[in-house]
Amino acid sequence: MNILYVEDNKINAMVMEKMLSKNNANVIIAENGLKALKLVKNNSLDLILVDINLGLNQMDGCELLQRFKQLDIIKGLPVFAVTAYAMPGDKQRFINIGFDNYFSKPVNFDKLLSVIANIKSSLGKREQTI
Amino acid sequence: MPFTLEQFQIFSEKTLLYLYILNIDGKIISCNERGRLLFSKNNKDIDQRYLTDVMIDEDIAIFNLSVSKLSKKNTVVSNTVRFSWEEDDLLSLKFEFTLHNDLIYAAGLDATEEYKEHRALSTISRLTKTGGWYYNPRNDNMYFSKGTYDIKEVPYNTPLTLEKAASFYDSDLGKEALEKIEKLINDKTSFEYKGRVTTNKGNKKWVKVMGEPVIYKDEVIYINGTCADVTDRHNYIERLKHSEETKHLALKGIQSGLFDYNIQKKEVFYSVDFKKMLGLSLKTDFVHEDEFRKMIHPDDLEKALERHYQNLIEEGNYYHNHYRLKHLKGEYRHYEVFGFRKKNKTGETIRMIGNLIDVHQRKINERTIAINKTKLQAMVNNGFDYIILLNPEGEILMADDRSLKVIKRDFNVDPLEKTSRFIDVMPLNFKNTFAYQFNEALKGNIIKKDIERIGYDNKPQWYESKYTPIIDKHNKVNSVLVSFHDITEQKLAEMVIKDAYIKEQELNVLKSNILSNFSHEIRTPLNGIMTVSKLLLDEKRPQEIDKLVQYLEESKDRLLYTIDSLSNYSEIEAIKNNLHLQDLDLNYTVESSYREYKHLADSKKLKYNIELDETCPKVTLDQNLFRTAINNIIQNAIKYTEQGSINITINSENLENNAYISIIDTGIGIDSENLKKIFDPFMQESIGLNRKYEGTGIGLSLSNRYIEILGGTITVKSEVGKGTVFSIILPKCL
Repeated sequence: MNILYVEDNKINAMVMEKMLSKNNANVIIAENGLKALKLVKNNSLDLILVDINLGLNQMDGCELLQRFKQLDIIKGLPVFAVTAYAMPGDKQRFINIGFDNYFSKPVNFDKLLSVIANIKSSLGKREQTI
Repeated sequence: MPFTLEQFQIFSEKTLLYLYILNIDGKIISCNERGRLLFSKNNKDIDQRYLTDVMIDEDIAIFNLSVSKLSKKNTVVSNTVRFSWEEDDLLSLKFEFTLHNDLIYAAGLDATEEYKEHRALSTISRLTKTGGWYYNPRNDNMYFSKGTYDIKEVPYNTPLTLEKAASFYDSDLGKEALEKIEKLINDKTSFEYKGRVTTNKGNKKWVKVMGEPVIYKDEVIYINGTCADVTDRHNYIERLKHSEETKHLALKGIQSGLFDYNIQKKEVFYSVDFKKMLGLSLKTDFVHEDEFRKMIHPDDLEKALERHYQNLIEEGNYYHNHYRLKHLKGEYRHYEVFGFRKKNKTGETIRMIGNLIDVHQRKINERTIAINKTKLQAMVNNGFDYIILLNPEGEILMADDRSLKVIKRDFNVDPLEKTSRFIDVMPLNFKNTFAYQFNEALKGNIIKKDIERIGYDNKPQWYESKYTPIIDKHNKVNSVLVSFHDITEQKLAEMVIKDAYIKEQELNVLKSNILSNFSHEIRTPLNGIMTVSKLLLDEKRPQEIDKLVQYLEESKDRLLYTIDSLSNYSEIEAIKNNLHLQDLDLNYTVESSYREYKHLADSKKLKYNIELDETCPKVTLDQNLFRTAINNIIQNAIKYTEQGSINITINSENLENNAYISIIDTGIGIDSENLKKIFDPFMQESIGLNRKYEGTGIGLSLSNRYIEILGGTITVKSEVGKGTVFSIILPKCL
């Protein structure tokens, strides 16, 4: 299972990779939006996790999502927001602009891993049917 | 012992009685000497004569009636009839008739004098409406003369008692009358009594009753009295009293003094009331003119005398003068004198009759009106800044001094001299709105409008313009009062408050931004700490490190709890301060949300409808907040409906100030226990943790909060197995 994680904070990117790898996922890190757009084109992905605040003067997660949506490759691919924006209303805001799910930081891994497991199992089924 | 025949013959000839024996037809069979006299005085022979031959025509019928009664009843009948006597005289005989062996025995007594008296009395009685009465207290006999019967309008000879006689009086007066009789019997003194009676025919009359005792052996055996109808007199006296009173009141009312001035004698006669008022002596009838002149106010005297002498020599008969007079209490009051002069043959005024009228109050009123008029003018000039009265054509009828000054200064025209339309002489800024407001006022509405303009000193000024229609008695607007009131100070104060409010808002935004950033900046590294901690937990580790990892877990839990609490605490405030309010078309806004979930409803093969409001209501909303709120409900409805329909309706036609949105599904419904807690965020948290319902519970709680922030309300009704109805009410833009 290939997961792209767009995250500018190196520590957070690193710990996410560690945690997901332990759960049998392959994590590709993009430290900004532009890199992410490139990586999307060159990799076969199953899930994208996007941080919203990607640093000063950088494309943010919301804009990146809109850019993703213009790409055909990404159709049907789940994109989750993983962000420290966790004020009331924030979750709804990100869901409304089109993220398929929302995880606030600090990430609740029990929840995230179970969602990933669901995706994985549906992938398995699809593969089986194919 | 009966009379001998001789004794009887002497007796019959010496008696005063006129004795006749008549047959049943009235023919004279025999009579005494005195009886014969009746015929000899008429130069008639008595043989073969009838008594009616010398009887006056008027009384023959009475005689015949008496005789016919006699033939029917074997009793004595008495009656008085009159006979011709010598030349022009009459003889009244009071007869007693008796029938014996078919012969009539008639004995008549000369009652000429008594009869004359009786006739006179009954005439007096009739003319004076006076009757007689008597009462015998010993046998309780009550008698009314014909006159008294007439007054009471009771048929003549109706049987009477004392009580019956008293019953004619009005209520208590009857009792009083009986008391008078009783008092007379006890005190043996006469009485006089006046009261109102109701006659047998129901007429109201005033009667004057007099009673006089007849005393025998120191006891009242009889009461004779009169009863007079004094209704006319009573009414006349009442009227007189009334008119006297009216005159009296009228004279008092105008506080006038009637006078009769003898110019040659220099003496004046004044009416009593007037003398009292001025404190003049009532003992002398006349007041000398010098004495009177002392009472005229010294300031008025000279001019008053001047007018006086001028008046006296003028042609015609009238006289008019005015001055202040000193009253009993020492104060001076204004008087006007109106008189009629009587002249002698040489045209000299010798006498004058007239009236002094107190016009003090009028003078004071005149002065008060003058003062009030000045006050009103002052009010008009100071109370408002500008006042202009316009006719329906918009031409200036009147204006206050200040408006006139401005118009003269700016347009070089005086609207009071030259007809000017207000629109031609008003400041430019006022023209935009004038026509509309003036027309509204002509319809009868009071219109207010604030106007801003730049004053001469280049500072902004604000005026409240007010158009007040003035309505005549035919309910038509005959003019419009336009006033301009300077509200610059008020406006400036409002602006200061507005600025302060904006500053406060900005501070609030800043505060919540700081809070939001602060939260973000803590959460970012906390994510690292927590993930590391979790990774460490999964690693194999020595026991001493295990304890340290435990501490790390506890500390990050506590820190997370703190940061979560901080976020929640600021929630409502943060949202309120970041509202982006717009007047939105409710149909369009709700329909956008509807479309967003159409694919979801279609994928479940549900009927999915929206019904828009034809009145297109507008509502002031934060689009994001409202869409979030309504999206949650729609999403929720689709999620919990496996078959059937979702209907969204917008309707405001029957609501005056509100718009109404309903979202009706035919889903699984909510049981009453959970329905109570559906908007409770703490409850939802537990539901929210359940993976199956993830997202939905918190969503409804948010919908509720957001709609409340936007000034609306949400209610929900549900039946398990049948479906759920969410209703939202929002205030419309008016």
